[in-house]
Amino acid sequence: MNKVLSLHDAVERHVPDGVGLLAVGGMHLHNNPMALVREVVRQRQRIRRLLTSPCGAFNADLLIAAGLVEEIATSYVGFEHLGLAPAFRRSVEDGSLRVLECDEAYITHGLNAGAGGLPFAPLPAGLEVSDVWKANPESFRLVEDPFTGARVLAGAPLRPDVALVHASEADAAGNAVLGGAHFVDRVMAMAARTVVLQVEAVVPTEAISRHPVGTTIPGFLVHAVVEVPGGCHPTASHGHYRVDEDHLRRYLALAGGAEGPRAYVEQYVRGSSEADYQQAQRALAPGEALQ
Amino acid sequence: MSRTDGRANGGSPTEPTIGELMAVELSRRLRGDDVAVMGTASALPQIACRLAKETHAPDLWYVAGGTCGVNPRLAPAVPSCCDEDLLRADTAVPLSDVVLLEGRGDVFTVFFSGGLQIDAHGNCNLVSVGDWTRPSLRGPGTVGLPFLARVGRVLIYTMAHNPRTFVERVDFLGGPGFLDGPDSWAAAGLTGGGPAAVVTPLCTLGFDPQTLRLRLETVHPGVTVQQVVEATGFELSVPEVVPPTPPPTDELIAILRSIDSGGLLRGR
Repeated sequence: MNKVLSLHDAVERHVPDGVGLLAVGGMHLHNNPMALVREVVRQRQRIRRLLTSPCGAFNADLLIAAGLVEEIATSYVGFEHLGLAPAFRRSVEDGSLRVLECDEAYITHGLNAGAGGLPFAPLPAGLEVSDVWKANPESFRLVEDPFTGARVLAGAPLRPDVALVHASEADAAGNAVLGGAHFVDRVMAMAARTVVLQVEAVVPTEAISRHPVGTTIPGFLVHAVVEVPGGCHPTASHGHYRVDEDHLRRYLALAGGAEGPRAYVEQYVRGSSEADYQQAQRALAPGEALQ
Repeated sequence: MSRTDGRANGGSPTEPTIGELMAVELSRRLRGDDVAVMGTASALPQIACRLAKETHAPDLWYVAGGTCGVNPRLAPAVPSCCDEDLLRADTAVPLSDVVLLEGRGDVFTVFFSGGLQIDAHGNCNLVSVGDWTRPSLRGPGTVGLPFLARVGRVLIYTMAHNPRTFVERVDFLGGPGFLDGPDSWAAAGLTGGGPAAVVTPLCTLGFDPQTLRLRLETVHPGVTVQQVVEATGFELSVPEVVPPTPPPTDELIAILRSIDSGGLLRGR
C-alpha cells in the first residue's frame, strides 16, 4: 500500500477548498508541518475553521497572513519568546478573523472526544471560573453531572476534517514515528477524518517495525505521506534541525512593514516552489538546515 | 522606568542580573515535596526549578510543559518550552497526559503563570486588552492558565512591571487568581491554593491575607518603594517596613550560571 504523494497532489486531493475544520500539528515553533501549510497557501485553499494544538505558531499565522482563514479555534497563537503573531493579532483586532476561544484542556480533551466518539468532553471542576467558555458558547456548555448533580463545564468533540501533521519518518503505508515530543499530534491524528503526514524521510517498513511501541501513528489512520526534508523550516523538526530564529525575525520584520505579513507570503511562499524555497534556505545556512 | 527586563544590567561575578535575581526569588519558593509545571516562554521558571533542585530542594520534580520533559537537565537553558533539548530529562510524558493530570488536581503542587495583565487579586490575562470582541490588543491566548483554579500554589512572573500590566482588574479572566477577593474566592470553592507570589523586575509581591490583594514584600537592589507604587496601576498595599530582596550568595549565582550556561538571563 503506497500512500506517498507529491506535496502538490497531497494537498490537492486531501485539502478541499473551503475545508470545514483543518487541524495543524506541532506546538510553538516546533514540528510545524510548514511544507504542507505553504502548499495550502500556494493552492489558495480557503479554510472555514482552523484548529491549532494548544499552542499554534507560524503554522497558523502564515495561513492567516495569506487571507485563507475565516475562523480559528485556538488557545494560543504566538511566537513564544520572539513575540506576538502579527497576522493573528492584526486580523483579530480589525475584526476580520473570528476566534473560538479555547484553552489547553478543551483542545486536548475535545480531540480525545473526537478520537473516541465521545459525545462531549466533561472538563475538570474549576475551569468554569475563567472567561474562556463565556467567550465561546458554541464550543462550551455548562451541564449537570448525571452522577452528582453538580454543574460542570463540557466541550464539544473536536473532529477535524483534515489534520496536517509532521512526523520524523514513516513508511509508505503511513506508519509514522514522531521524532521528539508528541505534543498533541498523535491525538490530532486519531481524531481527524483525514490525516496528511509530512515526514523528513520515507523509510522501509522494516525500519519502522523495529520500534512498534511508543511513538507510532498507525498507518490505518493516515491517508497520505509526503516526504519533504527540511519541511518544518523555519520551525524546528525534533531530531533533525532547530528553529531558524533569523528567518522568523525576517517574517516579523516584514509583517511590521506597510504591506504587513502578506509581503512575506508573496516573497517566500507564492513566489517560489517548495524545492526553490528549500534550496534558498540551504544556501543561506549551508550544512545546517539538513542532517 | 528603565529596568523592565533582565537585560538592563549586565551582571558581574558578584552581582546578579535582574533576570537572575528573579530566578532566585522563584527558586526560593519551591520545596522538596513539590511537583511543578510550567508552560510557554518558561526559561525563567525552568532555571528556577533546576536551581532549587541543585540547592535546597533536591527532591523537587518539575515538568517543562509543551515538550513535557521531567526534570530536564538544562545547561544551557533554552528559551522555548517545546525545545527538544528539554527531552534531556529523567523521563518525558506526552502533553495529553500532563493535561489529564493537571485536571486531577492533586498531582501538581506549583503552577507558573504570567500575563499581559496581572490584577490586584493575582488574576492573569493573556487573551485580550479591551473588549474581547474587538480588542485594542489581542494577546496570544490563555493556553493552560484556567487550570490555576485547580492546582496548588501559583507563582507568577513577568518581565514588565508597569501600569499597563498591573491593573485593578483583568479585562479577560484567563488565569484565575483570588478572583474579586475573599468573598468570591470563598464562594468559588476551588481546589487550588491561589497565587502565592508575583516576581517582577522591580520587586517581589505577596498577598494580604485579609483582602487577598497584592502586597509589596521586598524591593530589588536599587529600586525604591515609590518606584514600585508608581509602576503599579492600582493601589498597592505597602507595609510599613519593606526590606530589600535578599541578595543571593556568590555560590548560588555560580550554580545558577552553570545551569544558564548560555546566559539567557544575562541577555545573551
